[in-house]
Amino acid sequence: MNLHRAIALAAAAILIGSSSALAHHSFGAEFDANKPVQLRGTVVKVEWINPHSWIHIDVKQPDGTMVRWMIEGGTPNTLLRNGLKRDSLPPGTEIIVDGYRAKDGTNKANGRDLTFPDGRKLFVGSSGTDAPRDGRDATEPAKP
Amino acid sequence: MNQQLFRVALATASVTAILSRVPAAAQTAAPPAKAGTVQAAKNWTPPRTPWGEPDLQGTYSNKTITPFERPANVEGREFYTREEVEALQKRAQETGGDENRKRGTTADVERAYNDFWWDRGTKVTSPRTSLVVDPPDGRVPALTDEARQRAAEESKRPAFRGAGATGRGADTWLDRSTFERCITRGMPGAMSPSAYNNNYRITQGPGYVGIQIEMLGGTRVIPTDGRAHIGSSIRQWMGDSVGHWEGNTLVVDTTNFTDKVLYRGAAENLHLVERFTRLGPGEIDYRVTIMDSTTFTRPFTLAIPFVNTGEEMFEYACHEGNYGMAGILSGAREAERAAAGSGR
Repeated sequence: MNLHRAIALAAAAILIGSSSALAHHSFGAEFDANKPVQLRGTVVKVEWINPHSWIHIDVKQPDGTMVRWMIEGGTPNTLLRNGLKRDSLPPGTEIIVDGYRAKDGTNKANGRDLTFPDGRKLFVGSSGTDAPRDGRDATEPAKP
Repeated sequence: MNQQLFRVALATASVTAILSRVPAAAQTAAPPAKAGTVQAAKNWTPPRTPWGEPDLQGTYSNKTITPFERPANVEGREFYTREEVEALQKRAQETGGDENRKRGTTADVERAYNDFWWDRGTKVTSPRTSLVVDPPDGRVPALTDEARQRAAEESKRPAFRGAGATGRGADTWLDRSTFERCITRGMPGAMSPSAYNNNYRITQGPGYVGIQIEMLGGTRVIPTDGRAHIGSSIRQWMGDSVGHWEGNTLVVDTTNFTDKVLYRGAAENLHLVERFTRLGPGEIDYRVTIMDSTTFTRPFTLAIPFVNTGEEMFEYACHEGNYGMAGILSGAREAERAAAGSGR
């Protein structure tokens, strides 16, 4: 990174202070905006850990082999408050992941959008959530 | 009353209380309450602990969509109108942050995942147009020249001192913020709303108040027995807090910060005075005045409602699964290899 840019960024970062809009760590530093990725796979396991949960999926390749990917999600604390549990996404569930690939080139991505193959958004239907609509899931019920 | 009904009742009471504080004359600001003064609801007697101190105990959330600083479109106005509050809440509930995200941008990546994973809040918990209530313009005061100079030299320090979700590069974990390193958001960052884990549990014993903080974990133990601060050579990440009661208000004075973490450019010279006042069964009025004449051209005060949720607290064992840190560092190494390979 250009030194002046690094200094300017650091100076800006410390003056702004705690961010209220972002995750606990910089996803922009971990994942690559130039490498969007869409994956269709089956859930192998869910790591129900802080600061972020990780969903492990097996993605079938054109030659029939399986490749394991790890998908970074939100904190289990928020998911628990929205009515989900560790076993809410059982192994074998097929999901589609839209995200960005890790900068280090390993098979990791962030779970920007997670949907079932029929288009329903993952985790919708856990009633009582305060989560806003994002307009992506046509089946999502309107907020009262 | 079962727990869920209790929560609904609390939430309803809080929203009603908030809307009742919105000025009735829609387009005029309410008579300004002096910063630092708070009035509890009429006909409500704050409870006391068995040993006779005001009872603040409970589990609270400070999530809010009230802006931190006053937006330009409400410049000169201290309060939102009732209609504006309702419109802001409707927008937050219906659209959240997802619909305006542009794919393939760093901003999109930084938003990480869709709104379901967040717990930002969808309510205007304070009808004020900013959490900054003093100075009267609702904006953080300008930095001193000294603070600007320090910021420019920040890169020479052995470790990055920022407390947001960012860094100054990724040569080492020390280039990443204290938040990303799972250490602390500093003060008053730890008492300020974030995108999730905005939960706090207050407990009391005779002569002590404990504040458990969900984000990054940890509990502030605040003596209220009149003792002095610890010696000035002893420095702590969260500072040293001593408290006392002024009527029904808990007043907490915090000094003795380290030079290892920043709040908007302030570090070891930071001096905070917090005031906790129960306004009713469902809410604490929390105010913090931030002072550091080496950093800010004047003190400033935030007012952040702490709304009683009755919810459980969850552990946030941040370092346990912090794969993100490894991913950030290995991503930077990969970028270096790629740059070397392309002959740059």
